[in-house]
Amino acid sequence: MEIVVCVKPVPEAETRLRVATDGTALDPEAVKFVLTGYDESAVEQALLLKESVPGSKVHAISYGPAPRTEEVLRAAIALGCDQATWIDSGAAPATDPVDVARALAAAIRPVPHDLVLLGKQAGDDEEGVVAAALGELLEVPDFGFVVDLRWDAAGSRFKFRRASEAGLESWEAPTPLVVGLQQAWNDPRTAKLPAILKSRKAPIAKVTAAARSAEAARSRSVKFELPAPRTGAKLIEFKTPQEAAEKLVKVLREEAKVFP
Amino acid sequence: MSRRILVIGEPSAGGHLSGASLEAVGAALRLGGGAASVAGFAAGSTAAALAADFARVGVAEVYLTEEPRLDSAPLAGFVRAVATAIAESKPDVVLVGGTTFGRDFTGRCAALWNAAAATGVTEVTESDGGLRFRRPVFGGRATETREVEGGRAVLALRPHAFPLPAEAPVASKPHPIPLPELPPVLLAPHRAGVEAVTTGSGPALGDASIVVSGGRGLRAPEHFHLVEELAASLGAAVGASRAVTDAGWRPTSFQVGQTGRAVSPQLYVAVGISGAIQHIVGMISSRVIVAINSDASAPIFKVADYGLVGDLFQIVPALTSEVKRVRGIA
Ligand SMILES: Cc1cc2nc3c(=O)[nH]c(=O)nc-3n(C[C@H](O)[C@H](O)[C@H](O)COP(=O)(O)OP(=O)(O)OC[C@H]3O[C@@H](n4cnc5c(N)ncnc54)[C@H](O)[C@@H]3O)c2cc1C
Repeated sequence: MEIVVCVKPVPEAETRLRVATDGTALDPEAVKFVLTGYDESAVEQALLLKESVPGSKVHAISYGPAPRTEEVLRAAIALGCDQATWIDSGAAPATDPVDVARALAAAIRPVPHDLVLLGKQAGDDEEGVVAAALGELLEVPDFGFVVDLRWDAAGSRFKFRRASEAGLESWEAPTPLVVGLQQAWNDPRTAKLPAILKSRKAPIAKVTAAARSAEAARSRSVKFELPAPRTGAKLIEFKTPQEAAEKLVKVLREEAKVFP
Repeated sequence: MSRRILVIGEPSAGGHLSGASLEAVGAALRLGGGAASVAGFAAGSTAAALAADFARVGVAEVYLTEEPRLDSAPLAGFVRAVATAIAESKPDVVLVGGTTFGRDFTGRCAALWNAAAATGVTEVTESDGGLRFRRPVFGGRATETREVEGGRAVLALRPHAFPLPAEAPVASKPHPIPLPELPPVLLAPHRAGVEAVTTGSGPALGDASIVVSGGRGLRAPEHFHLVEELAASLGAAVGASRAVTDAGWRPTSFQVGQTGRAVSPQLYVAVGISGAIQHIVGMISSRVIVAINSDASAPIFKVADYGLVGDLFQIVPALTSEVKRVRGIA
């Protein structure tokens, strides 16, 4: 099976966020970009499928600027991906998620892809739009919020469940398919040192992102703000549990007005 | 130029318009000081009932694809029907509730319609004839404001961020839309079933306006009922920290946080949860946060609005009784 996994360089979870001087974006200075939770989960899922379906290959693809995009692709190779393609966005990458999906679709179309895997959303902008947009652009069915994905070799189809408001939906689908994974439920493996060292010399194919579509609408960031830091809880004083309960319910009703 | 908005109707389990869809109607009716012209879209076997729900809140024009196959077909089919409705109603904005359905819809619809797309939107405003929207990013640790260039946009609205519309019944004007011919590949996936998730009897986690979550402070699975009873008294959904789901006290569908669900209810109550950053990012955008923890130095108190420092085994049952008392529940 030919598996494509799309990954994105995203600031480390512990990053202290700062606003860039023009006020419209995150200040990338001193930010470490890594392969994050949802994407690690997608890579893990790709590798699990590869291990269960003989003859499979995993191709990692990422869109973004140098050097961070190449770095996350090396991280994906160190984990066990067979091949990597970097779509060079230039210094000012597209921020509209459909533009990103167009760039990915252009790179995926010419390569074999029985399955395209993505994290449900990136850890930074949290759009969760790219997987579905890719499905439409590649004319392939897509499913987001997928919680477990298996290949049923006898029936030549994927079997998976997807979390929705109705509960857990079970689906069966042949290839080709685009899947956005719900979460890091699958305990992603960590790369071993020899693999990390080897990944530094691994070849990475580079393609240049095509000019953005002229007829498409898009959005651009005009302001990036950090909330006023929460000042800490107002601690409610009490002598008995009953008093604690009465005082809390009173402030929730009268001050915070959160329940009738 | 008056703005034209198409609101996508998502059915809830009962076959009526979901709360998230109604909030999208609320947002549409308010946009530009109420000057926008608003139409609805509904599909599937309950489309007519959804059109009636639209009419009840003042949306007369509804594009309808009464096609039962769409009830369990992949979203691609639904989106193609919407594209036909878009061609007829010529909106410049499509609004959808930001449920799992709405978020998957957004990417597909925007790619098909060459529109800008965004999810998790908490505010939509007009600015000099352009459209601006705000959305939390980085797990609620920052907010971005974006402007649409080139007109068309598909926006999925964050649940509970917009008010429900008032009742304002009008006579429904349905416009039937046939289901376009679909490439067979898009209809190949087949839904084998739906199993209700065990989040107790309360509302679903992502959709609830109150969430009560329990952590390792409960010490053992047999104590988790304390959290569930408090949730039941409040009509709340039940959540959990990863310590709880990892230990198998509750399934991972309960988990709130970086690797679980992100929730943004009106009220979030954290019981016996320390407040690790990976938990915080999943609940920080809740409107009001209450923490109950015996350790006054627990980090959860830094992000909470109200705190009770004490033994949850004493406080939680007292709180459940008090909530029941004020709500008149026996
Ligand atoms: C990559 C990664 C991803 C993660 N993703 C998530 C995630 O999505 N969600 C998540 O929740 N965690 C996540 N975690 C785990 C997270 O770091 C914490 O370990 C976890 O949230 C701790 O759960 P807890 O607060 O229930 O337990 P603890 O940290 O053990 O806290 C228990 C709390 O209970 C209090 N307590 C004890 N007894 C009582 C009592 N009698 N009355 C009142 N209070 C009491 C204690 O004071 C303590 O503060 C992740 C970690 C990693 C590394």
